[in-house]
Amino acid sequence: MNAIKLLWRSTPSRSILFNYNTTRLASAATITPIQRIEPPPSTIKLDKLYKRVELEMRGIDPAVLLSYSWFCIAAATHLGIDVTKSWALRKAEKERHTLLRCVHIYKKHRVQYEVRSYFRFIHLQRLTGSTCDTYLEYIERNLPEGCALKVTKIECQTIPDHIKPPVDEK
Amino acid sequence: MNSIIKYAQCSSLSQWSPVFASQFHTSSALSRVVSGKYRITKKRDRPLTYEMANPPHFIAHRKSWNSWNTSSLKDGLRRSETAVEDEFIRRFLNGTWHGLVCSEVIIKRQFNHIRVAAIVRRAVSPTKMYFLIGYTEELLSNWIQCPVTLELQTVDSYKDVVFKYI
Repeated sequence: MNAIKLLWRSTPSRSILFNYNTTRLASAATITPIQRIEPPPSTIKLDKLYKRVELEMRGIDPAVLLSYSWFCIAAATHLGIDVTKSWALRKAEKERHTLLRCVHIYKKHRVQYEVRSYFRFIHLQRLTGSTCDTYLEYIERNLPEGCALKVTKIECQTIPDHIKPPVDEK
Repeated sequence: MNSIIKYAQCSSLSQWSPVFASQFHTSSALSRVVSGKYRITKKRDRPLTYEMANPPHFIAHRKSWNSWNTSSLKDGLRRSETAVEDEFIRRFLNGTWHGLVCSEVIIKRQFNHIRVAAIVRRAVSPTKMYFLIGYTEELLSNWIQCPVTLELQTVDSYKDVVFKYI
């Protein structure tokens, strides 16, 4: 009981607490124990803020990429993330090889092979660190075979203390 | 003579008279594609699956690939090793399920996980099938050092897989 009284007397903003207690007593029959409001310690890390998260998808089949982008956009809308852009390049990037058709001689007869990489891009705006981590974890676990994902995150940071704005000398 | 040949080629003469079509064969024996194509038999009883019936120029149009991985993309890694592993998996599967695999073996890779899919016919008892599945998965994952999952679909006989007779 004495400990509780000590705590009650040593709180910095007692008036707020007092108001809180009176409202609680008016509404509920039980008396909640008084808890001291402390400022958050400086060692707690605040969540990162991302201005933009860019997803670049590469694949063999454009139909698979389109379906995967629908999935990504649907997941983003469910989590409340705004999707600014979603587009694809009109043509794929092709790597071509021209080889001799026959094992021995016949230089004029060749075979051409090509390997295609299709691209698709999605831009997401204004995410928090935890949302971004959850979303990317879900997206990456469901990445289809034959598709590659490249994520670029653009973060907003406060200006560090050692950088100071220029002081006008007058 | 040359002008007659050119006239016959550009007109639709070959449709009316098959004799002309065999003579004015445009591609020479050298620059003709023969891979992945099956010849017609006289009795027309050679069975072809859908994959066999569509020659390789139909890939990405009527067919899709048999192995799905990111090694062939731009900045893709482990191209040759992946190809060799795929070939090993295919030979191993065809040997372990000897005469039972009715389709092409499809290999899909997601990160570390390899998923092998095939159509198998039910000539062996289910107990033996379960043993073969466990045996394949264990040995393959031990050799390739990746988790391997087998996704099999069973079929009564080879006739259920045949698309057309040639």
